[in-house]
Amino acid sequence: MIASSSSACRSKTEEAGRKAQPPTKWRATAQQRVYGRRLLDALRATAGGGARAVKAAADSALALTARGQSRWSRAILLGRRRNRNRRNLLQIKDKIRSDRGRTRPASAPRGTDRLRVLRRLVPGCRKLSAASVLEEAADYVAALEMQVKAMRALADAFSGAARAAATEAQRGA
Amino acid sequence: MEPPRSSGVGIDNSGEYSPEIAETLRFEEEIQSLIHPSSFDGSAAPTGGGSFTALLGLPANQAVELLHDSGAREPLASRIRVGEHPVHRPFHLPLDCSSAFPSNATLVDRAARFSVFAAEGSPASSSGRLKAEPQDSDSPPLDPIPTGPAKRKDTGRSKAKVTAKKSKNAEENTDGDKLPYVHVRARRGQATDNHSLAERARREKINARMKLLQELVPGCSKITGTALVLDEIINHVQTLQRQVEFLSMRLAAVNPRIDFSSLDSYLSAECGPVTVRNGPGGVVVDPSLWPTDATAEATRRLLVPQFWHIDLVPPQLQPQQSLTTWERDGAAHSQLLPNPTTSLFLYDPANSGDTNVPHRTAKLKTAEDRALNL
Repeated sequence: MIASSSSACRSKTEEAGRKAQPPTKWRATAQQRVYGRRLLDALRATAGGGARAVKAAADSALALTARGQSRWSRAILLGRRRNRNRRNLLQIKDKIRSDRGRTRPASAPRGTDRLRVLRRLVPGCRKLSAASVLEEAADYVAALEMQVKAMRALADAFSGAARAAATEAQRGA
Repeated sequence: MEPPRSSGVGIDNSGEYSPEIAETLRFEEEIQSLIHPSSFDGSAAPTGGGSFTALLGLPANQAVELLHDSGAREPLASRIRVGEHPVHRPFHLPLDCSSAFPSNATLVDRAARFSVFAAEGSPASSSGRLKAEPQDSDSPPLDPIPTGPAKRKDTGRSKAKVTAKKSKNAEENTDGDKLPYVHVRARRGQATDNHSLAERARREKINARMKLLQELVPGCSKITGTALVLDEIINHVQTLQRQVEFLSMRLAAVNPRIDFSSLDSYLSAECGPVTVRNGPGGVVVDPSLWPTDATAEATRRLLVPQFWHIDLVPPQLQPQQSLTTWERDGAAHSQLLPNPTTSLFLYDPANSGDTNVPHRTAKLKTAEDRALNL
């Protein structure tokens, strides 16, 4: 379902051609608006409950708003389209591996370890060089901040609207 | 070249960019005057020798202006004395640009940079250099060649106002003239073999990206040391991801109870003048189900029709049922449209609805375009 929604989203997107510096383009309120719209529609597509589905929809919407200019966005979108069962298995495998690694004492103060962690955090950066990982991380951080802002606004609006509707219904009934 | 640029800027934010555009236009004319000497008025003919005397051949006020201008122009004049070429032509540029130069500091900077190269003694490039100078002055670009001290200054003030084309030409001129075969100039006391050069370039790239990240993540500018900064960045990323998860849980909890109708009002209120048109209307999967019920005043005002593409809804009964429950809650106010529209996200213009479908889709498309063009 998410796959179909993302493909439908992609078919509808228009290329406005934003060419700003990658990390700063996420600050513009215009982007927030675009993302808000996409998020809304993606949320409508998600069937009822399911926090994971909501998160997946939000991430897909975020990746779409990136217009495929960054690696992590492409990784997210491509990853969603592939077989989801396979991805879940891979995630489980990664979790097991990381658990074994966590038994080691606190990560040694080496830049490579941290780079590895960063590679794991930012989607789609597993085989990139250090410089590219840092670049992707910058873009990803900016995008995440915008996502958090938009989702928080939406959640507040949701709860406010729900309360209003409830009171309306009460008054009406 | 000019019309597209201006039109492009007009779309974005005309108020901000018009002075720069005026500058660029002015520079365009000057550069063209450079290329086409015939368009000159009042300048000395391009003769063979005597650069400085040719300068004196200029109209008096211009020469005076040139020589008595800000101290940054001094190197210009001095360098002309060094060079042996008819360099009177480029002098028109500073005269015209004097009003447009952003600050003298940039000129001093550039003069310092160029004086370094002048010391190398490449007279053949003086005219090219001079031609490049005023072009460069408006857009101090990032030098692709990381010459030591110059690069530091450039990165400090890189704010390209002019289109990159002119600056690229300038760079190519200067680079081709000054450093034909060496790309990096080694700083004092550092190894110059290929490996360390490549390593140094790589390290500088990484450091630049790290600085970018440092500015992005709050509270990282004070920390010194790559490892701690990386730690902070990782922490920040994990925090953000966790926040996204929590918010998605919140949204999922609230989702079934909302009708998406009152939402867009909040969205538009917080996001500025979004062109969302509210109105009744909706394509429903099951047209016969929902009556056109006029419910509470608030919800009717804030209605957004829900257009569901058939592909979007999974072939299960559940979402349809959830839709119907939303409808039956009485908060939504939607009309029936017999034919499903093909576009996914459509917002109805504010009319009472029963317009025919193609008409509505046209209006909706424009509204959608406007909303997305932002």
